[in-house]
Amino acid sequence: MHTENQSPQTVNVAGSASWQVELDHVSVTYPNGTRALSDVSLRIEPGEMVSIIGLSGSGKSTLIRTINGLVAATQGVVTVGPHQVNALSGRALRDVRGQIGMIFQGFNLAERTDVLHNVLVGRFAHLPLWRTLLDLPTKHDRNIALGALDSVGILETVWTRAGALSGGQKQRVAIARALSQEPSVMLADEPVASLDPPTSHAVMGDLRRINQQYGLTVLINLHLIDLAKQYTTRLIGLRDGRLVYDGPVQNATDKDFEEVYGRPIQARDLLGN
Amino acid sequence: MTSVLSTAERSEQDTAGTQVPKQPSKHWTTAFAFAAGLVILIATGTLQISWSDLPAVPGQVWHYLQLMFASPDWSRLPRALFEMWRSISMAWIGAILCVLVSIPLGMLAALGVGPRWLRIPLRMIFAVIRAFPEVIIAIILLTVTGLTPFTGALALAISGVGQQSKWVYETIESLPKGTTEAVRAAGGNVAEVTRWALWPAAAPSLISFALYRFEINIRTSAVLGLIGAGGVGSMLANYTNYREWPTVGMLLIVVVVVTMLIDAVSGAIRRRIMEGGRARAVATNV
Amino acid sequence: MTTTTALTDTTDDIAARIPPKSRQLWRTLVGISALLLFTIATTIPAIGGINIDLASIVHNWHNGYSKMLQMLQPNFDFLPRTWRPMVETLQMALVGAAASAVVSISLTLWAAKPTNPDGLTRSIVRTMINVIRAVPDLVYATVLVAMVGVGALPGVLTLFLFNIGIVVKLVSEAIDSADHSYMEAGRAAGGTQTQINRSTALAQTWPLFANQWLYTLELNVRISAILGIVGAGGIGRLLDERRAFYAYSDVSIIILEILVVVIAIELLSNFIRKRLV
Repeated sequence: MHTENQSPQTVNVAGSASWQVELDHVSVTYPNGTRALSDVSLRIEPGEMVSIIGLSGSGKSTLIRTINGLVAATQGVVTVGPHQVNALSGRALRDVRGQIGMIFQGFNLAERTDVLHNVLVGRFAHLPLWRTLLDLPTKHDRNIALGALDSVGILETVWTRAGALSGGQKQRVAIARALSQEPSVMLADEPVASLDPPTSHAVMGDLRRINQQYGLTVLINLHLIDLAKQYTTRLIGLRDGRLVYDGPVQNATDKDFEEVYGRPIQARDLLGN
Repeated sequence: MTSVLSTAERSEQDTAGTQVPKQPSKHWTTAFAFAAGLVILIATGTLQISWSDLPAVPGQVWHYLQLMFASPDWSRLPRALFEMWRSISMAWIGAILCVLVSIPLGMLAALGVGPRWLRIPLRMIFAVIRAFPEVIIAIILLTVTGLTPFTGALALAISGVGQQSKWVYETIESLPKGTTEAVRAAGGNVAEVTRWALWPAAAPSLISFALYRFEINIRTSAVLGLIGAGGVGSMLANYTNYREWPTVGMLLIVVVVVTMLIDAVSGAIRRRIMEGGRARAVATNV
Repeated sequence: MTTTTALTDTTDDIAARIPPKSRQLWRTLVGISALLLFTIATTIPAIGGINIDLASIVHNWHNGYSKMLQMLQPNFDFLPRTWRPMVETLQMALVGAAASAVVSISLTLWAAKPTNPDGLTRSIVRTMINVIRAVPDLVYATVLVAMVGVGALPGVLTLFLFNIGIVVKLVSEAIDSADHSYMEAGRAAGGTQTQINRSTALAQTWPLFANQWLYTLELNVRISAILGIVGAGGIGRLLDERRAFYAYSDVSIIILEILVVVIAIELLSNFIRKRLV
């Protein structure tokens, strides 16, 4: 078992350094005419732990997906590390995505496939196509996947079908999948919305540990105020696709949250304990 | 026909003059039912059947049923089983070829997998093949290739491709989108999405559909035999022409028993495949 | 769980802690070899399997090629001769569907559990239906033609039997899987099973029936177009006759016509279905 006195060099998962994320006057309009983001500009420094809050439909999911190009910005410039994401496509875009880890509200695992192969999905951008199609990962990639699983504490589930795991375990597999990408940025879209309170805290703890231990830039979509306050250092508030708050977590008052939500704070905006 | 009756009853109620709220108008339903009834009556009346002979038909059929099944001729059973196996072989090879072609083509035709310029023409081809009755496609093909069990299997394969591919792309398109998004977010391309997000989730349904194709082919292969492709259908056609009813009876028993047996086995396997994943998942969880 | 571990630092330490893979490999192997054996057995001509003979197709190709060329030139002058048989085909389809629709109602209610709690009659009806379904449509037609003579009658009888099999099976299964709390109310009010069926189950399942009847009508048009091949009347008889005379341009115009009629009936059926539901 590994101990706490690990040297910092080995701890940094990102082969490359952690990246900054910058949005410059970004707008997104979907083909059906819905305007999901309006003129959002922000800059996130490498190694920051940021939560994006807002009601559902406020544009949080769209914002986080413009960063790895799953949703294309219709206007403005999205820069992640050295790459201008909105200008990329095809192979180049997939390569950048390979450097950006992402986890989802619904875990998005292949339920009938075992845990190891779910985690190996994180190695796709680093492997030639024939290896992934024929299921012949290199020893190196396999070890990275196993190491990622071990780092979230569920190595023993490696041969279990993902569908047979509990919600908390599934989200850990998803985190391991993202970690095995050896990412420079980590995105999380409502990572705890499908989990019970104790598991939610565990998963948020994992994300904070990844941020602190590896110095990784982490962006988390949340709708729960107390989790945002407890685990992140900077808050970004979205309302109707517009940036309405941006500042350190400790400065945010209840009035700020009410401004973001457009209504008084309610019990369902808090996880509670 | 039921609707005609109920509407009539209700209109009677209205004329009673009570303060019942007015029934919503059902004129169109009534008119439609009336028209349908009329068309059926005309069709029946003008059909070239000598209706005076009709009362004799049940007796006739009963007579032949007795000839066929009172004492079926089992002496030709070995030959019948041989021909039955030929029909099963046609069905099986036809099913395998059909599935091997339709899984890749169906996937390419699925939204989000194949490019648009390929998807649209593929779907049009499937639709055209589906529009033809299977036997018609087989007749066209067999005219060109000659009548052998092998060409029969090929005909089964091609005539099934339209429907089978449609099942494939409908299955793929009905899968939850999350896994696909995760693989794309990790930098996977379309091939990797197909292999590691779509295939694992769709495989049980696709295998189940493949078995179902085999069940369908068992019936169609007997029909191809009737038009000369060999197998139990050809034998049945021959002995029906010779009017050797006890042998025809035996053949029908063989066809029914074997078909029901294959349906039962294939159906059981299909259920296991569809439920197997879940059952095992629960077992390992505990 | 929260011990800090380096991700890239995967040593033998992890390898030792990986649980053994419990996947039963032999099971997959047995399954695959069973499939392979079955497939091989279907290709052994000596026991009835089929002879995969690609050479004969190449051999036939020249012959087939000229037939194909003829088929690609449909003989539109032949069309007038096809009207009557085509009308007969449609008549057979409609009469077969209508007759089976009438009979299917009571048989279906007998074959479904909620509407027929008596296990014995239910299994008798179900077995009968399964036997009926196991015989392919053209096999019925062949035998019936031999029994009652060439013409529309064996065609109608074939479609009738075929439709009964489909409607009773599909609708009774749909009734089985649906929720039937409304029947309990009828039972609580003291109604007999027949009363309950007539007043509630029939009203409740009527859309299912209507849907299946339309579906059988669509199927019937496709089937009745080919029944004539074995002598059961309709356009198929003409198709078989022209094929016997090697008149492939006539064959292809007949096939085109069948295609148009099949699609037209399907469109009509979809239109009616939308109105009904």
